[in-house]
Parts: sequence; structure tokens; C-alpha cells
Amino acid sequence: MKKSVVFLAIAVLALSGIYVMASSNMIVEETIGSIPTLDPAWSYDTGSGEAIWQLYDNLIQYDGSSISKFKPMISTNIPSEKDGTILDNGKTYIFHIRQNVYFHSGDILTPEDVVYSLERAVIFDRAGGPSWMLAEPLLPTIDGAYVDSIEQWATKLAGVKKFNDLFLSGTRTPKNDKYRQALIDTFNLLSKSFEVKGNEVIIHLPHSYPPFLYILAHGVSESSILDKKWLIEKGGWNGNANTWWIYHNPSREKDPLYSIENGTGPFTLERWTKGREIVFKRFDKYWAGPAKIEYGIIKKVPEFTTRKLDLLRGNADTIYVPRQYMEQVENVPGIKVIKGLPVLSVDVGVFNFNVDSKGNPYIGSGRLDGRGIPPDFFSNENVRLAFDYLFPYNAFIKQVWVGQAIVPNSVIPKGIFGYNAKNPTPFTQNLAKATEYFKKAYNGELWNKGFTMTLVYNSGNTQRQTACEMIRYYARRINPKFHVNIVSELWASFLDDYASGKLPFFVVGWSADYPDPYDFEQPFYSSNGAYGSTIGKNYVEWAKKNMNTLLVKSMKTVSQTERAKIYNQMNIEAHDNAIYMFLDQPLSMHVQRSDLKGWYYNPMRPGIDFYSLSK
Amino acid sequence: MASFIIRRILLLPVTLLGLTFLIFFFTSFLSPYQLLSAYVQDPRQLQGGNVEKLIDKYGLRENFMIRYGKWLGQISHGNLGWSLSLNEPVSVVIEQRFPATLELTIYAIIPVIFVGIWLGVVASVHHNGVIDQILRVFALLGYSIPAFVLGLLILFIFYGVLGWLPPGRLDQWAQMIFFSKNFHHYTGLATIDALLNGNIPIFLDALKHLISPILTLSYLSWAGLLRITRSSMLESLGQDYIRTARAKGLSEKMIVNKHARRNALIPATTVAGLMFIGMLGGVIITETIFNYPGIGSFAAQAATQFDYAGILGVALVYGLVTIIGNLIVDISYAMIDPRVRLG
Repeated sequence: MKKSVVFLAIAVLALSGIYVMASSNMIVEETIGSIPTLDPAWSYDTGSGEAIWQLYDNLIQYDGSSISKFKPMISTNIPSEKDGTILDNGKTYIFHIRQNVYFHSGDILTPEDVVYSLERAVIFDRAGGPSWMLAEPLLPTIDGAYVDSIEQWATKLAGVKKFNDLFLSGTRTPKNDKYRQALIDTFNLLSKSFEVKGNEVIIHLPHSYPPFLYILAHGVSESSILDKKWLIEKGGWNGNANTWWIYHNPSREKDPLYSIENGTGPFTLERWTKGREIVFKRFDKYWAGPAKIEYGIIKKVPEFTTRKLDLLRGNADTIYVPRQYMEQVENVPGIKVIKGLPVLSVDVGVFNFNVDSKGNPYIGSGRLDGRGIPPDFFSNENVRLAFDYLFPYNAFIKQVWVGQAIVPNSVIPKGIFGYNAKNPTPFTQNLAKATEYFKKAYNGELWNKGFTMTLVYNSGNTQRQTACEMIRYYARRINPKFHVNIVSELWASFLDDYASGKLPFFVVGWSADYPDPYDFEQPFYSSNGAYGSTIGKNYVEWAKKNMNTLLVKSMKTVSQTERAKIYNQMNIEAHDNAIYMFLDQPLSMHVQRSDLKGWYYNPMRPGIDFYSLSK
Repeated sequence: MASFIIRRILLLPVTLLGLTFLIFFFTSFLSPYQLLSAYVQDPRQLQGGNVEKLIDKYGLRENFMIRYGKWLGQISHGNLGWSLSLNEPVSVVIEQRFPATLELTIYAIIPVIFVGIWLGVVASVHHNGVIDQILRVFALLGYSIPAFVLGLLILFIFYGVLGWLPPGRLDQWAQMIFFSKNFHHYTGLATIDALLNGNIPIFLDALKHLISPILTLSYLSWAGLLRITRSSMLESLGQDYIRTARAKGLSEKMIVNKHARRNALIPATTVAGLMFIGMLGGVIITETIFNYPGIGSFAAQAATQFDYAGILGVALVYGLVTIIGNLIVDISYAMIDPRVRLG
């Protein structure tokens, strides 16, 4: 008995060396994120984006680390005005489709697949998804405003209030022929944008849309090219005008593409164990030649120590390292750390110009009496300026980001065209100026009476927590009558308060959907923007007068210089009026084993590119 | 005994119904926006009219009784719903993850019970002696040390320093074979399936991955079992019948093993049974540290992401395990002590 136990122990331990030998043809990345879907039209997160990157190709791709230069991918050309493949002042784009490109199923890619994929991305339009990116350029505007969902045209043409009004209750059957026709006409508006001419796909936009090429580039999942024939066989949309609404806004479990794939990318899906790991296998018929490695693996390992030990033991080739643990992997033999990589995102403190005061616990008495704040407290420009000068930006970067971030001067992050480091000048902490503006606000009444308000952050987010604590500390320091309470809420409650407009001040972030300033200026500054529309009627009115026209103008020209000037003008306007508090633009880092070759940084790429890697 | 077992089994659906009703009832206190947080990870997803679209799409304004009714309707068709946190049917998640937890629990409970009880007996026999004092410190440490500290310590020593016992359920090479088409999954238990497939390297690899979590779970559980066994042993050893046995001239070994230990096993069995049930419900911290894909790590993920279907699925599993586990414990009483009658 004892002998057999000893033998078993030796056998078990002897096996511990095998994994190192077996891992030479595979690269393992360990991270913390999940992969919600493999359907490019559903994907709107980095986890799914990273997986889809390996499996699918787009028409064009970024050239290495650049986010402004493109390389061909499924299209053999990069459309340009110079060679006559961008025409009509940026409204027509011509793509020459690469021949003999194989899908993983063995089918050959056709120009019809390209058109089908882009149309599907627009009709798919799941609520909260990415379809707006293609809908805005491909669908005609309504009353001069971009249309971000195909539902808008359907409801307009049918003359109903809500999309669901078109259908018999609980079904996807149109109530009558008029509504059915409106749905078909809606699709025809979209399909008008596409023309297939031999081996060319020509896209006729109803209006110019300067960031269009960015939206088609690899990295925007929803523009991935799918196999029409195969997807129809799997139960997907058949490409017809008279059925699209059945496949519109599906639930994830009814989406045939959520866990299978058939792209043209350098890897096929070998296995996906949800919430655990995904394994990609080299596709030997890849048009650009097979990858150097046979397997690429992304594993979810929530615990940092486990990831670190896996990296050190060679069981992982690259891992996600939170900033606070950076020192643990620096200067370790065999480990390479690359720091200071600019992330295309910004974190911003948002002033709510008109808080919903009904039953709002965060504004105290709701009056300027020292025990609360009025609901329109942040409509006061002096108050906003005071807070912008109150915040210790550099200390925040040092303490919270371990120095791995920079202070932005606008919503445009460094690295994107239109970013101007010198103008406007970023806010820096200046308590004298903060005091001056607090004294000016409400003709001195605020300074004399003081205020009480509550700042809320979602629990677990230490950056947002520290930002709130710093505001509390410095507000109290310049005037003991300034009381800032801080409350931590679960994400559910935070979202509830956010959506109902109760939060007087909160911190949010925005990451690039594509590397164009419009993607940042629109959500923050437009009166219809994701944030702009939620921060009170006083802001909406101000934005209508000061921002909307400039935004529209910026999208009517294809000249980058002209556009950069417009965005700069908007940024100066926002800065001078202290619309937001610009907190940080994070810098990311990459940690890998030294024997991993071929890694490069592109901020628009979600995760790593297994195709470029080898050992 | 048969009627007792039947009665307890008949109570099972009622208990599960009550359990799931309570969970739904608690969600009725949440606003539609709070419920929406399960579907929205980023405020940017709320742009345009998406808030109302999402609330409509997922029926978040519906009364909780209606939602509960719908869920019961699904269940009656064998559909446990869709897990938002893992993005697949809850039944599939449970089918994949429960065997992993079951395997860990089965392997862990053996050393937990045998060593825990043995230590308790040894401590009681050497009452107030050096060995007893050492074991009491040992138990105290087991009580005081948090699971994540012990787990990390074991991981660091046996994986970080020695490189012997890696985390996870299988090494990467073994996973490639384990998940291949040629490998048949009869039970979902990696060690058993490896043996049934005649693949000894995978069996050994799976065993190797179990050692660290078993060590962690064992040490944390020994403390409780040691103390319970020790105190009930001491109580038994002070009984009149033990004095009589000694007076009869029986050997100390015979007295301890045959007369005292058997009686002392009843409270230890209760504790061991509860430990087994607890482990089957998922050992969240141990599973997380060792990256072990069991039901515990799923439960944690489902709870933090408001994955109702996932939470309900785990609750059902936990309810089932608790009821059946307690039933087994009750039956084992009768087997250990013939005086106990179930009825």
C-alpha cells in the first residue's frame, strides 16, 4: 500500500514537467475579462473583440502600430481620393475585393458576402449594441440628424411611435400590409448604399461621413466579413428585405452566431469553454499565409497571483497585470514589461446641470442653505470652474494611476488626430482660483452659507472613489462649510441613479470605438450625445447653441485639417465653460515572457494579435 | 426508514419552490434600472432610446410574480434559463461545473474525515499532554487562517517555488486531449473519465491539480472536525461504561477504538456531513485561487453580475444538495448508532 502511494506521488510529480515541453507551439494569454459572444454584430466589448479579431477579417486593417495608416485586408485597396476610389466629396467608396479568400468552412469569399455582412450589422441592431456605428453613415439622416438605429426609419415610414407598434403583440408579424411595406422600404434605404460591380463593392453613403474607413477597419468587430451562404444554413438572416425584422434585436440565446464562427481570419475556433478559456487553431489556408504558431489560447484567470506564477513558470506567455502590482513583475529575469502605452480613452468628471430633485438624497435640502445644493447647482459656471481648479490632477495620477496616466485637456485623447496638447491648457489645481470662483458664485452666498452634497461611485472602483475623496478633502480645506459626503453603491444602484438623473457629480469613462475625434466629441458635447443628453436641460440648451452646429460642420468636410480646427474650437469652448472635469487618460502596459516575439501595440486592437506572435 | 426517506424526498420540490420564490421576491424590491444592470456594463450602452428598449426587451417592468410564473413555465420544460455571466444555458453551466466541484469534494472529504477524526481521537487520548497542545494550536491556526491566505501560501510554495502543483483542473496539453473528440466524457469527473478512457497521464495530471485545493480545504476543515471529535471523545472517555471496560481489564486501544470512538462519531458525522454539503455547494475562494472551474466560482460570478438565472440555478443545486445531504447524514446516524430511529 505504502509503495503504491509513493509510486503515485512520484508519477504525479514527474508529470509536472510535461506542460513546459508541450507549450512551444502555443501562446497562452491570461486575463480577467470574459467573452460574451463571437457574433461580430453583437460584440461591443474588448473580450469579444479580441476573439473576433483572431477569427475574422475586415475590409481594411491598421498598418502595425499606426491608427491613421491602413493596409489592405479583404479589400486589396485602401480607398483614397487620390486614386479615384473615394468620390463625391467622401460619399462614394470603391473596394476591390481580394480573390481566392477562404472562409474556415472552405467557402470562397465573394463581394456579396461583404455587402451581406455590413447590411446584417445594421439590421441586427441589438439594444445597447454597436450597430449605430454603421447605421449613422449608411442610413439617410432624419431632419438633418444621424440615424443610429434602423428602427428610427421604420417607425418614421410607418408613422408609428415605437418599433414594437409595427407588430402584433408578442410577435414579429407586421400588423398590416402598410407596416410590412414600411419595413421593406426601410431596408431598401439601406441596401441603396451598396453596389456590386464585378469584383468591386461600391458603397454610396447618403451623406459624407469622414470616419467611415475607421469603422470598416479591423478592430471594429461589427464590420467583420461573414459567409452569407453558411450563415443562412445556420439559421441566420437570409439577406432579404422582407425578413430582416425577424432577425433584428435578437436575444443572445437566439443568435446563431454567438458561439460558432466561420470567418476568414488566421485562426479557427478550436474550443470555447465559456467563462474559462478559448482556444484558436491555425487556419492553414489563410490568404496572407498561415500563422507561425499552431494554437492561441486566452484564459480567464481572475486571481493575479495565479496569473503571475503562471507567467513565471512559463505556463502563460503574457498576462494582465493591474497597475498596483506593476512592481512585482518589473526587473524579473525572463519577463519583459512595456509601459507608457497610451490608451484611447478618457475619464471625466461629469457635472449634472439639472439634477432630478424628486426624492433625491444626494442634494440634501435641495436649496442653497448650507445643508444642500439647488438642483441646478452645476449650471452655475463659477461653481464648475471652482471645482475644476479644486481638483489635484497630478496627485490623482500619481496616487491612483501609479503615474501611468496623463492629464487630458479635452475629451480627445492623446494619439488621435485633433488632439492639441497646448490648447486648451489642461486645468491644474489652483486653490486660490477655486476660492475666487466659489466666492463669485451666487454673489458670495455660496461661500457664506456653504453647501452639502453627496458624491456617488460604483463600489470597487478605487479610481472613482479616490477622485471623490480628493474633492471632499480640498473642498473642506478651502471652506469648512463645504460638506461633501461620499457614498459607494453597487453597480445596479449606481446605474439606477445615473439613469434617473439623480447624481450631481460622477465620474465616467469613454473608450474609442474608432480613432476619430467625432467619437469623443459627439457623446460628450452633442445635445443628443450619450452623456451630453443626460446632464440636464440647461446643458442641452447650451449645447444646441454652442456645440451642435460645430459638430455637424465637422462631419461635412473630409479635410482632416479643417476638422481638427473645428474640434479644437469645441474643446476650447468646453474648457472655458468648465463643462467637464478632465481627469485622466490612462497609459497601459504589456507584460510578457522575454521569449515571446512579434508583439506590437495598436491602441485600437482589443487584446493581442496571435497572428504576429511566435516563440 | 423508507417512509422517512419518501417523506423527505416529497418535501424537496416544496422547499425548492420556496427558495426560488424568495429569490424572486427579493428582486421585486429592485427598480427596472437596477435590474437592467445585468445587461449593461457601460453607461454608453444606454445612449439614445436604449434604456427603454432594453427594459422592454427583457420584460424588466413586469411584476415579479409574472416573471416567476414565466420562469416556472421554463423550468417545467427543463429550461433553467440563460446565464448572463457565462453566456450559455444554466443547465449547461451546471452540467459542466458541478462534476468539477463534485470531484474536488469527493477527493477532499476523504482526508478531511479520516485525518480530522483521527487527529481528534489522538488529541483526546493525550488530553492536556504535549501532543494535545500541539494539535490545539494546529486547530486554532486552521480556524484563524483565511482560506485565501492558506490557498495563496500553498500555491506559492508548491507551484511558485517547487513547480510541482499547478492551478487549474488540467495542464494545457491534457486539456487538448481531454476536450478532443476522441475523449469520452462519461461522468464529467476528470480522474474517472481519464481512467475509463484508459489515459493514465491525464488521470495523474488531474490528480496533481487536485492536491493543492484538497490540502487547502482539508486544513481548514480539520480544525473543526478535530475539535468536535476531541470534545465528544473526552465526553465518551469519561462515561461509566468506559470505566467499567477499564475495570474489566480491556486494553486502552480496545477501549478507545471500539467503545469510545464509535459513540464520539455521531457529532463528528453531523459536522462532516455539513462540510460535505458546504463543499458541494461550491468553495468559492479555493476555486478562485486555484482557478478551478467549479460551481462555487460560477455562483460568485452570477451573484456579482446580477445573473438571476445563474443565481436561481445555483440555488436549486444547493437546495438539492443540502436536502439530499442532510438525508444521508440522518440515515448515517441510524447506521452508526442503532439506538437512533428515523420516523
